[in-house]
Amino acid sequence: MSTELKQEQLEIEKIIKEKQTIGINRYITQITDTINFEIKRTWKTFIIMLFVYLGIFLLSLLLAELREAAGVELPEESIDYLGDYFGFFGILIIISTATFGGGIIAEDFQKQTGNLLFPKISKSRLLIGRIISRYALNVILIAFYYLMVGIITFYKYQELPDTYIISMGWALFYTFMVFTIVIFMSSINKSKSAAIIISILLFLIAFNIIDSILMFTRTGIEPIFLPTYYENIIQASLDMPDPRFETVSFGRPGGNNPEFKRWLTPSIPGAIIGMSLISFLTLTAAYLLYKTRQSKNE
Amino acid sequence: MNENNDDILIQLKGLTKRFGNFYAVSNIDLEIKRGEIVGFLGPNGAGKTTTMKMMAYLLRPTAGEIWIRNNGDLTRLSSKNRDYLLDNIGFMIEIPTFYGDMTPRQILSYFANLKGYPRKKVKIRVEEVVRLFGLSEWIDTKIKKFSKGMKQKIGIGSAIIHDPEIIVLDEPQTGLDPKARKDVRDLILKLKQMEKTIFLSSHLLYEISEVADRIAIIHKSKLIAYDTLDNLELKSRKSLINFELIDYSKHNLTDLIERLNKIILPLNGLGSGSVNKIRFNENSKMFEVPFNGVPENQLKIHKALFENNFNVLEFSVPKANLLESLFIDLTDESYKEMLSPEREIIPN
Repeated sequence: MSTELKQEQLEIEKIIKEKQTIGINRYITQITDTINFEIKRTWKTFIIMLFVYLGIFLLSLLLAELREAAGVELPEESIDYLGDYFGFFGILIIISTATFGGGIIAEDFQKQTGNLLFPKISKSRLLIGRIISRYALNVILIAFYYLMVGIITFYKYQELPDTYIISMGWALFYTFMVFTIVIFMSSINKSKSAAIIISILLFLIAFNIIDSILMFTRTGIEPIFLPTYYENIIQASLDMPDPRFETVSFGRPGGNNPEFKRWLTPSIPGAIIGMSLISFLTLTAAYLLYKTRQSKNE
Repeated sequence: MNENNDDILIQLKGLTKRFGNFYAVSNIDLEIKRGEIVGFLGPNGAGKTTTMKMMAYLLRPTAGEIWIRNNGDLTRLSSKNRDYLLDNIGFMIEIPTFYGDMTPRQILSYFANLKGYPRKKVKIRVEEVVRLFGLSEWIDTKIKKFSKGMKQKIGIGSAIIHDPEIIVLDEPQTGLDPKARKDVRDLILKLKQMEKTIFLSSHLLYEISEVADRIAIIHKSKLIAYDTLDNLELKSRKSLINFELIDYSKHNLTDLIERLNKIILPLNGLGSGSVNKIRFNENSKMFEVPFNGVPENQLKIHKALFENNFNVLEFSVPKANLLESLFIDLTDESYKEMLSPEREIIPN
């Protein structure tokens, strides 16, 4: 055998060996490749959302500054000042999570990109890769918001409350739970837009109406089955209220108005269990529907 | 499992797919051999895409098996081995759609990585494939700016990016203009030169007849024929001659056809049944003569036309027409014989 042929043979063997090695680690490499690809693919959305988060922060800052300029004193505690920046934070989380997660399943069926993808990667690996990449981008957005709020609070008070990081932890956990619900919506909707719109409407309107119904029917039931209820712990964890509910009344001032019990926040164990359970159930349901959808894709 | 015939790369055994009570693919047996182009022909809804989706493991067969050659042996495709078994096949199922904001370089690199192509060589491979399709200048352009034909090429590129031995292409020329269709046809022939085995579905008879070594015809979920075009012709004992007469318009067409029937039909080897009579194609302005495909008869008909002072401008046996004729005959027979009773809705 000539040297050239030998060299070619060695080259081929090397390629085959390399291919087989990748084959063993295929599960991990496919997920990491998907993460990289998805980050590139959603980068533009990420930049837009980054500006949205920045915009909301700047508006909140402007409001705080205007208040101060009008002679309203700064809150005594840094916790209270920090809390002022979380008025729209829940909505922000829902919008960004729905934007990142709405197409996670629906898109491949809507655009038929699945026909190119699925012979190359299994549904589960693709989904894992996408969840990790898009959740990671969401994490960066939330961390970015907390960083900005943290900097301005530190500038004003020369300190940050101890519960600042804990609050961020809850925000990330809550974001994950919202994300799993959006993924579920993506698994049952035909288009990305429908999944995004329905998810946002569900969180901003439907769940809040149910919460109000519970309050006005005086059931006294803690709404642990409502995903939006868990948003309250993000702000409440800065300074956990005791008791975790309050009594409110509606009607004419000074009148004999009826009183209603309103739950302020879930407890720490309740939030961990509740959010874990909702995340697990919706993610499992989404995956099973995804699998079924695959076999019916004709 | 060891097979005696080492040339078989893919084997479908009794492949069946049922959706509820509807049979999309019914009991298909098919073998694809190394280095050949197999044309998978059938009308829309015949079961071509479903068959290919089962091969790609996008759909699970209701019954039957798919065997793929791997490391010398034919191995049955299952969920456990689909990763490495399908590494040897590249698929393009239906019209390829891409994420518009990505470039061919990004998408093809991702696909190559997913299929375990050696990482150090991915960049070179992607550039090589894009060059093969004449799209080097577009490698970093967003796909949303591409024409349909260019997207189709990138679709085929995504099927071959990991350098598989077998390529499965589902209707690669559908919806393309003639120039793009020719480009894709040339590409398929280029892949054949590269010793790839190609399984190609289409309902465009001409495209199949131009490239395929063997043709599988599927109709109403069943495989009704699978052979080379020449053998199919011999089996059906029917072919078609097209000829054009310079001055046919001077004559009464009915009288002319009557006269031609008298002269030619005794020579066509098919008898003089009403189905075998000469027809005039208004579109092509050609006369179409059914005959038994035997060259001697073709020659006799040719001579007879000259001996009877017909001014023949063109005389040919076009393969595409032949395939069309065969296809219509076979599918008609299939209708007649009601070969696919299972395909009908079964009452619960």
